[in-house]
Parts: sequence; structure tokens; C-alpha cells
Amino acid sequence: MHAWLTTADDVLRRAAWTTRPASRRGLAHLVGCLLLFSLFYGAAMGTFRVLSGQPQWLLQITYSALKVPLLLLATFAISLPSFFVLNTLLGLRRDFGQALRAVVATQAGLAVILASLAPFTMIWYASSAVYSQALLFNGAMFAVASISAQWLLRQYYRPLVARNRRHRWILWGWLVVYTLVAIQMAWLLRPFIGAPTMEVSFLRPEAWDNAYVKVLELIGRMFGW
Amino acid sequence: MLTWLSHLDRLLRGDATRSDALRGGMLQIQAGGLGVLIVLLGAIYGLCMGSYSLLKEVPPTLLDPNGRYLQLAATMIKVPALFYLTLLVTFPSLYVFNALVGSRLTVLSVLRLLIASLTVNLAVLSSLGPIVLFFSLTTKSYPFVLLLNVVMYSVAGVLGLGFLRQTLHRLTSFEMPRELAVDRAAVGAGDSADEVVLVETEPSALDMPSGQAFGRHTRLVFGCWMIVFALVGAQMGWVLRPFVGSPGLPFTWFRERGSNFFEAVLNTLGALLTGSS
Repeated sequence: MHAWLTTADDVLRRAAWTTRPASRRGLAHLVGCLLLFSLFYGAAMGTFRVLSGQPQWLLQITYSALKVPLLLLATFAISLPSFFVLNTLLGLRRDFGQALRAVVATQAGLAVILASLAPFTMIWYASSAVYSQALLFNGAMFAVASISAQWLLRQYYRPLVARNRRHRWILWGWLVVYTLVAIQMAWLLRPFIGAPTMEVSFLRPEAWDNAYVKVLELIGRMFGW
Repeated sequence: MLTWLSHLDRLLRGDATRSDALRGGMLQIQAGGLGVLIVLLGAIYGLCMGSYSLLKEVPPTLLDPNGRYLQLAATMIKVPALFYLTLLVTFPSLYVFNALVGSRLTVLSVLRLLIASLTVNLAVLSSLGPIVLFFSLTTKSYPFVLLLNVVMYSVAGVLGLGFLRQTLHRLTSFEMPRELAVDRAAVGAGDSADEVVLVETEPSALDMPSGQAFGRHTRLVFGCWMIVFALVGAQMGWVLRPFVGSPGLPFTWFRERGSNFFEAVLNTLGALLTGSS
């Protein structure tokens, strides 16, 4: 456990090994860190049913714990091919090893930040059993973690941008693609908390739908279109 | 296959379009191999694009056990066909116009240039394929998937045309100076002269070689090529539709003639905003 905490500390402090492309062991450490800490936040997220006295809480915790790493890894995997091709096309292939390390380390950093926010989430659950508030609070935690992770990514990217300004374009491209996919992935993998009025399930029966279309429909309804 | 992939890699990295590789006024690429890669990359994107039909909700009156798979197969064939047919339709006029304005590029070098650009275009498009596949399998809204594909084609098209423009420039400019771009990059928060580091980097496939600018000739030829390519490509896409497969219509290889691409995009945007699918 101490080793993982040291790894988390290294990620947050951007230790040299986290972006050195040579060692494979380092990459495995980053992925391990990502899995462990996101699993932890997922489990904390799933405790809503325990703290509001609902049945099937263990199942919900298990599902939530699995889904947060799945959300991060699947979004990363889907966004990676275009990241590679665009890096190559913009003449940044030589730096790709370091760029890949930077985004993987940022994923690990995001998981660590989320895990550090887990106690807040549990305190919130303990003080309010209202599902919509729990939903909103988790949304806020993800927003805080994402903004912090973006700052971390910028720090990781500083030497790359200093070497070639095109890395800044790639950074923005990555953020746009990653956010686009992550929002849909989160929508698809819901429920993460588990509504008290519904049976516990890994995915909602109506899961296969589009988050952006839903938002547009809501806006349309608001304006009476 | 590996040789073709290494040619694609050289194109994307810009190795095949450096000035020393273009001395003879010709791209040194294996056009046949890249031609096969265009088909493969197009089929990969077609698979992602057509996957919407696999899970779409179809009215009971339109139930067809094979329709979904036929649509998928049709899209896998149609995407490479779209690019090849656009090339076939535009190539004669592109070459003639190119010769008319005094370019020294031969038929073969124009053909190689266009094949290389299409390969880059399709490489970018197929790298965006996983995103399209993910949304296609998880979205019910037909207008959303349609517009997502338009966005992906546009992104790939812009990068493909960027490659075409830069390579055209490199091919048509002679006696190029040393091709090492000096990238002045500011380090840290401050931008003072002391903190500026000069890093010598080789230009990418999209970079302008140091000390050069697009000539009048390149701008003119590229401008015309771009307009012809974009218009014909968009309309060819319209002629070859359906690519995604509307849930409200039975499977057909081709739809009836009528309307045009640009009107259809505007109508789809309206449908998405008003919530009708």
C-alpha cells in the first residue's frame, strides 16, 4: 500500500519517472495507480445505499467500484487512436512516448484526486439521503477532479509545448475528444450511485442513448420547440 | 502489408514529403500499395459508420432480418468507393487546370499526390472511427449520428487538404533552402529573451519549410482543387447514400435522386434541434 501511495505522490508531483518513455514498468505503475484509486472512489460513490439504509448495497458498491475505472479506461482507449495519428501528422511522433506518458499519468492523477475527494462524498451521503443532491454532489466532485487533472496535464505538457508549440494544439484536441467521449461514456455506464426507487443493475435498461441529444431535448423543451 | 503501412507511416511523419525526397518533382511512394490501404482504411471507417444500423430501433413494418447487416456491408464498400469515385470524377479537370496554369507536375506526380492526400485523409478518418463506433452503438438519434459523421469527415478533410496544400507547395517550389524549421518556443511563464530556447526540428507533413511562403501558383491551384474536391466529394456522398441507414426507411443500396448534400445537412441540424429523429 505504501508503494501505491508513493506512486500517487510521484504522479501529483510529476516525478521524472512518470514521463520517462524508456521503462515499461513505470507505465504499469501508472495504470495500476489509475485502477486502484478510481476503484476506491467508485466504491465510495456506491455507498449511498448503505448510508440511506437501502438493500442490495454491496452489489451497488461492487458495480460502482468497477464502473469508475471502466469509465476512465474505455474513454482513454477510444480517444487514443486519433491522438496517435494527429501527433504523427503534426510532426510530433518523436515526442509521442512522453506525450502518452503525460496523458496516462494525468489519468492516474485524476483517479488520485477523485479518491482524495471520496471522504467528502461519504460525508455528504451521511448528511443527506436525497438522491438528486447526491447526484449533483458527485457531479461537482468529478468537475473539481477534472479541472485539477487538466491543470496537471498542462504541467506535464509544459516541456513538450516548450519544445514544439504544436503540442498545445494536440493538448486542446485531446481535451475536446476526451470530454466528448467521457460524457457519453458516463451517461452510458449510469447508474453510478443507484436511485433508491430502482433495482440495482449494472446498466440501466434504457442505457443505450445519447447524452447530448438528451440535453438538446431538454433545452428544446425549455424553449417550447 | 507491412511495407504499405511503413509507407503510410512515412507519409504521416512527413518523411516522404521532405525536400530531399521530392527532388525529382515526384512523390516517391508506392501508389499501388497506398491504393489498397485506402480501401482498407475506408472499410474500417465504413464498419464504424455503418454500425449504427446494427442496434437501431426499426418500426415493425420495416423489420428485415438481413437489412442491418446489408447496411453495414454496404457502408464498408461505399466509404472507399466515395473517395475513389471522387478522385475519378475530379482527376481529369484537376490535372488539366493544373497544367493550364503552368505547373510542371506530370500526370503521374499529380495522381501520386492525390493518392497520398487521400491516404492521409483516410488515416485520420479511420483513427476517429472508434469514437464514431462508440456513439453509433450507444445513440438512438439518427440526426446526431449523421452530424457526428459530417464533423469527422470535415476534420479529416481539413487535415488531408492541409497535407495536399503543403505537399503541392513543396513539389512546385524548386531550389528549396535547407529544410530545418527553427521553432522558437518560450519556456516557463516568462517570455523574456533569456528564457527563449531555439530548438531545431524537422518540419512535419503539414509544416511550411523555414523561410518559405505559399506561392501564387500553389494558392491558385490548391484553391481550385479544394473547391472542386469538396463540392464533388459532398455531392458524391449524397449520391451514394445511405451510409448510416435511417431507422424509418428500409434498406436500399441507393436512395432515389433529388435534393443535395448541403440542404440535407441543414435539414438534419433542424431535426436535431427540434428533437425529431
